Amino acid sequence: MSYQVLARKWRPKRFADLVGQEHVVRALSNALNEERLHHAYLLTGTRGVGKTTIARILAKSLNCETGTTAEPCGECSACRQIDAGRFVDLLEIDAASNTGIDNIREVLENAQYAPTSGRFKVYIIDEVHMLSKSAFNAMLKTLEEPPAHVKFILATTDPQKVPVTVLSRCLQFSLRNMTPQQVAGHLAHVLEVEQQSFEPAALALLGRAAAGSMRDALSLLDQAIAYGMGEVREEGVRAMLGAVDRRYLFVLLDALAAADGPRLMAEAEQLAQRGIGFDSVLAEMAVLLQQLAMAQTVPAAIADDEPEREALFALASLIAPQDVQLYYQIAIHGRKDLALAPDEHAGFNMTLLRMLAFHPAHAQPDSVAAPRSNTAAAATRPAPVAMPAQPDAGVDGSAAARALLAGLGNRKPASRPAAQEPGTAADAEPEPAAPAPLAAPAPAQPVTPAVSAVSAVAVAPAEPVVTAPAPAVIAQAAPSVAADDDERDDEDETELDNTAPWDETEAEEAMPAYAMAEESTAVDAAPYQFDGDWGGLVTQLGTRLGASRMLAHNAVLKGWSQSRLELAVPDSFRHMATRDYQEKLKTALAEQFGHTVELVVTIEELGLETPAMQGARHRQEQLAQARICLENDPVIQQLVRDMGATLIAETIQPVQEL
Amino acid sequence: MLFPWQLQDWQRLNAERARLPNAWLFIGPAGTGKLEFALHLAQSLLCEQLQADYQPCGHCKGCRWFEHGTHPDFRRLSPQTDDEEEGKEAKPGRKLPLIKIEAVRQVIEFAHLTAHRAGQRIVVVEPAENLNPAAANALLKILEEPPQDVLFLLVAQAAQRLLPTIRSRCRQFPLSAPSPAQALDWLRQQGVSNAEAELAHNGGAPLFDHDPVLAKLRSQFIDGLGQPTFASILNLAELVDKQKLPLAIPLGWLGKWLHDLAGLSLAGIVRYHPEQQAVLQQLVLRCDPVALMRCQDALQQLAPFGQHTLNTRLQLEALLMDYLKIFAGGRQG
Ligand SMILES: [Zn+2]
Ligand SMILES: [Zn+2]
Repeated sequence: MSYQVLARKWRPKRFADLVGQEHVVRALSNALNEERLHHAYLLTGTRGVGKTTIARILAKSLNCETGTTAEPCGECSACRQIDAGRFVDLLEIDAASNTGIDNIREVLENAQYAPTSGRFKVYIIDEVHMLSKSAFNAMLKTLEEPPAHVKFILATTDPQKVPVTVLSRCLQFSLRNMTPQQVAGHLAHVLEVEQQSFEPAALALLGRAAAGSMRDALSLLDQAIAYGMGEVREEGVRAMLGAVDRRYLFVLLDALAAADGPRLMAEAEQLAQRGIGFDSVLAEMAVLLQQLAMAQTVPAAIADDEPEREALFALASLIAPQDVQLYYQIAIHGRKDLALAPDEHAGFNMTLLRMLAFHPAHAQPDSVAAPRSNTAAAATRPAPVAMPAQPDAGVDGSAAARALLAGLGNRKPASRPAAQEPGTAADAEPEPAAPAPLAAPAPAQPVTPAVSAVSAVAVAPAEPVVTAPAPAVIAQAAPSVAADDDERDDEDETELDNTAPWDETEAEEAMPAYAMAEESTAVDAAPYQFDGDWGGLVTQLGTRLGASRMLAHNAVLKGWSQSRLELAVPDSFRHMATRDYQEKLKTALAEQFGHTVELVVTIEELGLETPAMQGARHRQEQLAQARICLENDPVIQQLVRDMGATLIAETIQPVQEL
Repeated sequence: MLFPWQLQDWQRLNAERARLPNAWLFIGPAGTGKLEFALHLAQSLLCEQLQADYQPCGHCKGCRWFEHGTHPDFRRLSPQTDDEEEGKEAKPGRKLPLIKIEAVRQVIEFAHLTAHRAGQRIVVVEPAENLNPAAANALLKILEEPPQDVLFLLVAQAAQRLLPTIRSRCRQFPLSAPSPAQALDWLRQQGVSNAEAELAHNGGAPLFDHDPVLAKLRSQFIDGLGQPTFASILNLAELVDKQKLPLAIPLGWLGKWLHDLAGLSLAGIVRYHPEQQAVLQQLVLRCDPVALMRCQDALQQLAPFGQHTLNTRLQLEALLMDYLKIFAGGRQG
């Protein structure tokens, strides 16, 4: 008997063996035990979470010779034939390789005839999203009035591609992604039964790398066993997985912030040697830049348990908001251009070099201190340099942030003393430690509107939503070139079209909407009168805060007049209150007030609410409200009552509106 | 055939034979011999008189059929290409035709037949990133639950380019790229003249078409780029036009040159033209990085039309004018 891969060998044969889909199992079991059977089921979820498995067990449940049951015996001839894949009344159709309408017609014509040996004729249609439109239409008629002996079980990773007319005739179950812990626990069980030795830490790594999918996990486990010559050790698994965390991204962006070309290129070389695909690097980089923009505009939106929270804010303080935005555009476009480059490595290098070419240190020597200059304007004033420029003083001064970034990869980055020499700290080889889950910032995950039509069972991915959905939160006008027209010399005007690295409209599609509202509100002609509302002022200052954003958002107002502000910052944000940041804040305040403002910043805990805390509170309030709405929703109440559905409170996301 | 830099990979792979996956996914950069590795493995699995170290014997029935491309238990799933392209890896930057669902259906049918010989049936899918979405989806089921003794070997440059549902069903196996020394040794053994420069120009990947005529043209072209004057630019466009080269070729040359110019200017690195370091160094003094990026944009816009029969000379002249502008400003203080 030849070797059977673990994913296949360990495919559950009973509901009890399934991991992580208790909500679906419960609902199905109740329905089976009470013989309340629907004629069509749709199972959705990402790859390898158990869709096909559940479909097959359900087929056994329906046809087991001991009677319709949630616990098919597994021993009768129907059960055994289904397990062996040769039960005459179970038709498993691969919609992806049989996309034509003929196949579906054939199937449906057969549906009228009574089952040969079982109680039900069961049709499992896998990858159902691949059916053609006409095939869907052919299926609709049978779905509307199916013969009593027919059950359809549809499965797909992509329910968006299934027509609503089909969806509405199916009882839908959304399978959850598995948590790293669930995966690791199951892998441990598998290895114990397989009598393979392992280190728990290795399984934790695999659990994260599987990104929610048990099949991915088992495929990786196969690979790990092969790689480790039968042993599953942490060291080996770490080497095998390569980069499962985003540490390298922080290193790249840190080098970019410092305009350190040689370090950037060295890092790109490293990535190539580790076999990390440049396409995914750019995609991940875009996600991180989006998070940076978020950290700069709405710091409270970054979850407290975000694994790289501190590093994120440290980086956010190093790169001016408009540069974050520019780099984002360049990353997105660079990704498209990879295929056109002489080779991927060159394409990736070119993308990084483009970011460098438009870097403030190259484009405009003092633009770090004056982050208002817009990118296009900066681009028209090039200062060619023969060799990589030295990072300028503004960047160099952020020693605390630098040290923090350097400490990334430590088990507890926060506990690391931030007082090291930035140079040595940055060069230290970060010790690989608990890597973050690859899938955490999945950009493709749609923002689920909280109060909306919920299909049969209200479930959402069990993963905590680590990233706030950036584009939805601050839906203000996208940055427009026109906003800065007055700042641009007329002679630059004509140049601009050619200078823009790419088509504006195209770039905007891909851009998250950044909060640029203050560009228009700031035109107000009347002299500014501060009214003591620090939070309001911070909101008004918006992106003009630049690098002093963290300071402003985490300070409370102790005292004030029209010419003097006293702020208090809690000790945990001491590193954000250095003189550099204070100077930047003063600059922004002067601009708003129309005159210089004296600024006094003390480190003390006043127990008052900072703008950051205020933002977080608002979010919590919205969340609570969304939850009440959901719990009182009659449809959902019915689901909970009749279907055994559970509402997973922690996955509710309020719709963000401004 | 195995390349010298693949011997360790081969050992590593052999250690996995006791636990054959449904599908192996071989990953590595272009031009480093991934396909050859996969084919060598296929032959080894079909050989009926395996030698030491799992090497195929080369003369049994299985081996002879395989080498003639007629083994009944072997299929290769690749885009339909010209005969002359057969046996070579995908070229970067060139749009290759896609693998379509009809071809996948045939392979599925093949996988469900019984073996002609007693052994396994092997399907090589290369390059796997060229499966179109329908074709990729159609492979999912058979990858997950292939019939007894059917093994799939997928070859791709980066796993991330494949559908997650495909990746999820494969066991990934990263293949080594040669070290610079290994690549150089191998090229010299193949009798490639000027191996060092050729290797650099191909980004360190040793498997490329070596065409001495083209190499000479390229060096003329690069020399011209090194002296950015109006007259030399016009000459270059004429040179390319006379040889009736497709636009893709000079675009590739210019793309690599721009990369090195930007690399040296902004980050102190040269990747493709180490022998031109001195020339590049001089140009960098006058180089405006933003104008360079603009020239790069113009190049990217032309890239998709590299194989079209549009007026090559006109297009190239316009592009090279953009190139001239990189040096128009002179050095600012
Ligand atoms: Zn039974
Ligand atoms: Zn042989």
